[in-house]
This record gives sequence, structure tokens and C-alpha cells, in this order.
Amino acid sequence: MRLKDQIAVVTGGSRGIGRAIVLALAAEGARVAFVYHGNEEAARSLEHQVKENGGLAAGSKVDVTDAKAVDAMVEKLLGEWGRIDVLVNNAGIIRDDLFVRLDEEAWTTVLNTNLGGTYHFCRAVAYPMMTQRRGRIINMSSIAAEHCNPGQANYAASKGAINALTRALAVELASRNVTVNAVAPGFIETDMTAAVRNKAGDLIKKYVPMRRLGQPDDVARVVLFLASADSGYLTGQVLTVDGGLSLGAISA
Amino acid sequence: MPNQDEIYTKVSATLVEALNVDEEEIRPTSTLQGDLGAESIDFLDIVFRLEREFGIKIPRGELFPESIFSGDPDFVQDGKVTDQGLAELRERMPFADLSRFEKNPEVSAISDLFTVDMITRYIQGKLAQPNGN
Repeated sequence: MRLKDQIAVVTGGSRGIGRAIVLALAAEGARVAFVYHGNEEAARSLEHQVKENGGLAAGSKVDVTDAKAVDAMVEKLLGEWGRIDVLVNNAGIIRDDLFVRLDEEAWTTVLNTNLGGTYHFCRAVAYPMMTQRRGRIINMSSIAAEHCNPGQANYAASKGAINALTRALAVELASRNVTVNAVAPGFIETDMTAAVRNKAGDLIKKYVPMRRLGQPDDVARVVLFLASADSGYLTGQVLTVDGGLSLGAISA
Repeated sequence: MPNQDEIYTKVSATLVEALNVDEEEIRPTSTLQGDLGAESIDFLDIVFRLEREFGIKIPRGELFPESIFSGDPDFVQDGKVTDQGLAELRERMPFADLSRFEKNPEVSAISDLFTVDMITRYIQGKLAQPNGN
């Protein structure tokens, strides 16, 4: 039980990679407060599943772009559970379009959710973690920040900014034993990638040396490592989890 | 109104928490940076904790005046604090003991002004104000 009695917060926790993260952290003994936006049913189902497995997860509906709502949620959590040991900023969206067609709303919404949401939660937990003299912040990035496909300028910008924020925050909080890292997944089998995967089909396996899509749990395992005591001297890093996709190899 | 000893004791306890040092390490003349190992992030924490402990508001730059350290050429030249800078320090930090510093006003020595005693006097001054906050 690597996270016994620790308190974790996971944003975007009700589905996809976030859901796998909630399950993985809870399985290691953490009490997990997760945040969701739309899918009430998925949130309740996740709470139930964690409880069935003998753990505890509680979902709150919070709009990560709303600073006041985020502050209120974190304050309430600190009041009830006393501390926050791990923060996973996983909430993220895509609004793909070719740049010259990309409308302003698509640009702003992606930046506000992905980068803004990460910023709001980091801001809310930074001082509590500082005073605890221990903390783990894990931001969800993407290989899209460095390995860019057409149609994702807004998404790539938001993830690139998250990488830089990760490094900057790592420097500021390091002396208080708070590590800040990011995980950059490649192609993972979730709702978010469904449309792209339908179009690309087998081509994906051609470009991924490991010849398979990633599963949410593949990413959750790495998040778990970063949340654990094993990564105590590792900070400011972006760990790519992509089955070798970003190495650029193309099989015949 | 607490007396100076009572204030000193509370300030000391606050620094123990903020800087993770032992009580025995703290003397009235202990400098925050040199003796107690404080970094910039710690100065922030100290301000927050003092506000909470004493129920006061410490406006930004009032306890630890940032302008002198930002390298403003009116205040700092060739690594020394200018006469204008000294006047600024005197005005902004009436609670600090500048007698030694004035003799050799090296910028690098400014941090020696921040002692436990200095904070105690600052707090005393704040609490004595009719509308201390």
C-alpha cells in the first residue's frame, strides 16, 4: 500500500485516464477526491467501484476554469480531510481544427481548461503542501506538445505551457519537498481519442513500436510512481508514456 | 496588548514552524537568512504566519521592503546602497537597527538587518497602532 492514508485530488477523474488514476491511487490506500464536469453517472459509478474494492473515492462537480469554485473545493477538502498529499491535474479537452479555421472560442476554452485548470488547482494546493513540507503535483501533458499533428495548435500550446509551468513550479517548491512533474501520454484508448483512432485505424500500430495503443492504466502506473515515495528526488520532469511513438520510427 | 517578551516568544515559535529550526537556535540577534537559513519562499511563509498569529495585515513590502533589493539604480549602485537608498530604508523600516549597516552599506549585507529582534519590534509597532490592521 504505497499511498496508505494519503489524500489525493484528481481532476477529470470520472473517465478515461483520470478514472484509471483514481482507481490506481485508491488501490494503494489513498483517499481520493476527484473532480468531474459533465458525467454524473460515470462519477457515481467510479465511487461505487472504488468502494467495492475496499477504498474511498468522492467525486465533486467542479468547473476547473472557475477559480472561486476550485478554491472552495480545496478549502472544503482541507477542512474535512486535513491535508492534500497528491494533486493530479488531469482534466483536459481537445477542440481540434486547422489553425486558420480555429475559432477563438475553441482556442480559449482549451487553454482555459487545460492550462487554466492546472494553474487554479496548483495555486490552491501550493501553500498547504509547502507548510506540510511534502507534496506531489503531477500534471497531465501530451506528446502533442513536441510531436505535433495538424489541427491541434490550441491543444499543443496548452500542453507545452503545462510543461513549462511544471518546470517553473518544480523550482519554486523544491525546497519544501514538493515535487512537480508531468506525464506526456501518446495514443491512449479513451473517449478523447476515439474519433482520431477511427480515422487512423491500423496506421497507429504502424507508428507505435510497441504495436498497440496505450491503455489508461499504462499511464496511471507512471502517475502512481510519481505520486509515491519512490520519486522523492525526481522533479521538474516530463515523462513520456507512448510505447515509443515519439521516437519517430515507421515500420514497413 | 502583549509586551515585548510575549511578542518575542510568539515570533520565535512562528519561525520554528516556518523555518523548521529548533527553538534553541533562535536568538534575538539571529539573522533570518544567515543564521536560520531562510530563503525567499520562507519570507513569504513567515509573513502569512505572522498575519495569522497576531491577527494583523502585513501589506506587501512593509516588513521586507522589496524595492531596495530590486536593484533600482536610485537605491543601489555598484553593490552599495546609496544615500537615497539609506533614506528609503530608514523611512520604510523604522523598526530596524541600521547603525552598523550604515557604516558599510553593502547590498549583500541587507539580509543581516532581518533579525528576530527586528520582527519583534515591527510587530510591537503594528499592535500599538490604533487601527493596527
